[in-house]
Amino acid sequence: MTEDHERIEELLAGYALLSLEGEDAGEADRLLSEHVPGCARCRRTLADFQALSGDLALATAPADPPETMLPRIHRAMDEVPLEGRRPRRVALVAVAASAVALVAMGGLSLVLGNRLNDAKTQAGTALEILSAMRSSGAQPVNVAPQGETPPESGLVEVSSAETGTIYLAAIDCPEPAAGHAYQLWLGSNGEWVPVGKMFWPQDGVVLLELKDVDVSRYDAIWISEEMAGAPPSKPSTQWHSWSGELS
Amino acid sequence: MGEDERLDLELHRRVAQRDRAGFDELYRRYVRQAYGVALRVTSQDLIAQEVVQDAFLALWRAPEAFDPARGGFRSFFLSLVHHRAVDAVRREERLRRRTERAANLEPATDEDPAEDVVEDAYLRVRRKEVQAALGTLPAAQRQVLEMAYFGGMTQVRIADELGIPIGTVKTRTLAAMRKLRVTLQEE
Repeated sequence: MTEDHERIEELLAGYALLSLEGEDAGEADRLLSEHVPGCARCRRTLADFQALSGDLALATAPADPPETMLPRIHRAMDEVPLEGRRPRRVALVAVAASAVALVAMGGLSLVLGNRLNDAKTQAGTALEILSAMRSSGAQPVNVAPQGETPPESGLVEVSSAETGTIYLAAIDCPEPAAGHAYQLWLGSNGEWVPVGKMFWPQDGVVLLELKDVDVSRYDAIWISEEMAGAPPSKPSTQWHSWSGELS
Repeated sequence: MGEDERLDLELHRRVAQRDRAGFDELYRRYVRQAYGVALRVTSQDLIAQEVVQDAFLALWRAPEAFDPARGGFRSFFLSLVHHRAVDAVRREERLRRRTERAANLEPATDEDPAEDVVEDAYLRVRRKEVQAALGTLPAAQRQVLEMAYFGGMTQVRIADELGIPIGTVKTRTLAAMRKLRVTLQEE
C-alpha cells in the first residue's frame, strides 16, 4: 500500500507527544503495526521523534525532590524481594493447566500452524510457541478474561525460566479501542510491572515473544488494555483485561 | 557514544544485576530532571513525586524495558517519566486547570538553577541545546508543542483551546518536531 508520508509523519509526531485521540490514534495504531515496521524512513522518523520526546524534558528546570523520596523508593524495593525466591524447577513452566487452557492450546496450535504459510514475519514466533508448547513438561497458563472482557477471548502464556523467554498467544483477542493497546504485566505479591512494549492483535491473533524476562520472579500475569504510549503505574481495569497465576 | 552515554549503560547494566549502589547513582543522575518535568506536567508536587518514584521503581523492577539498541538511556527514562506524568494528569482530570498555564508560553530560560549541582552536570549541556532549539521555533509552532508536551493536551483539545483547525495543529506540530530534530541532530 502506498502511504502518504507527510500524513504519517504528522501522526508519528502526535504519537510521540502522546497527543493523539480518536480516529487519529486509531490510524496511528494501524500504521505502527502495518506500515512502520516495514518502512525504514518511518522507523527512523519514529525513533527520532521519540528521542526528541525524551529530550524535551530537559527544557524544564530541574527540581529538588524531597529527601524522603530515595528512602521511600528503597522501602518499596524491599517490599518486593526480587532475589531468593524459589526458582522454578522445570525449564518450561506454567500453572492453571485447566481443561479450558488445554482446549485453548489445541485450537491455538492449529491456528498458528496454519498461519505459518502466510505470515512469514510471525513464523519464527509461532514456531517458538509451538515448540515450547510441545516440549516435555510444558503447561500453558490460561490467562482468563476479566470483567466484561469477552469470555471466548482467553490468552495462553508459556514461559521458559531457562531461556528467560515468555510467550503469549491468542486467537480471538478483541481489538482495543482506538488509541489504546494491550500491555503485558507480571506481578509479584500484588505489585505489577509492565513487561515489553504495548501490542495489538492482528485479526484477533496475538503472537508475542519476550526475551530476557526472569519469569521466576513473578507469581501472576495480567494483560490490560491501556492508552497507547507508556504504560501507567499499574494495570487498568476499566477496559479489556485478562489475568492468570504463575507458579 | 560519549562518556556520559557509556556511564548510563554501565549503570543500567548494574541495575539489571540488582546492584543498589548502581541504582542509587542512576537515581542521583536523573532524579532532579525527572522531578522537574513531572512537576511541570502535573503541577502537583505529590503527584509528581509519585510519578518519579514509580518511574524509578519500574526501572528497578523491569530494567529489561530499556533496550540500548533502540536509543539512549536518557531519552528512554525521561520519556518514561513524561509519559507517566501525562497519564497521571489525565487520570486525575486536572487538565483544564493546567490549560491556562500551558497556553501561556513559558519562555525557555538561560538560567540554570542546577549549575551548582554536580550530579546532573552532564545534562546541563544538552539542556541548553534543547532550550536553544526551542527558542528557534516560531511562536505558533512552539505553542502547540508545549501545550501537547507540557500541558498533556491532545491535538483535538489544543485546536479547541486555540480556536484553530486541528489540521493546523498537526501541521505546526510536525513542523516543530522536524525543526527540532534537525537542530538537535546538528548539535
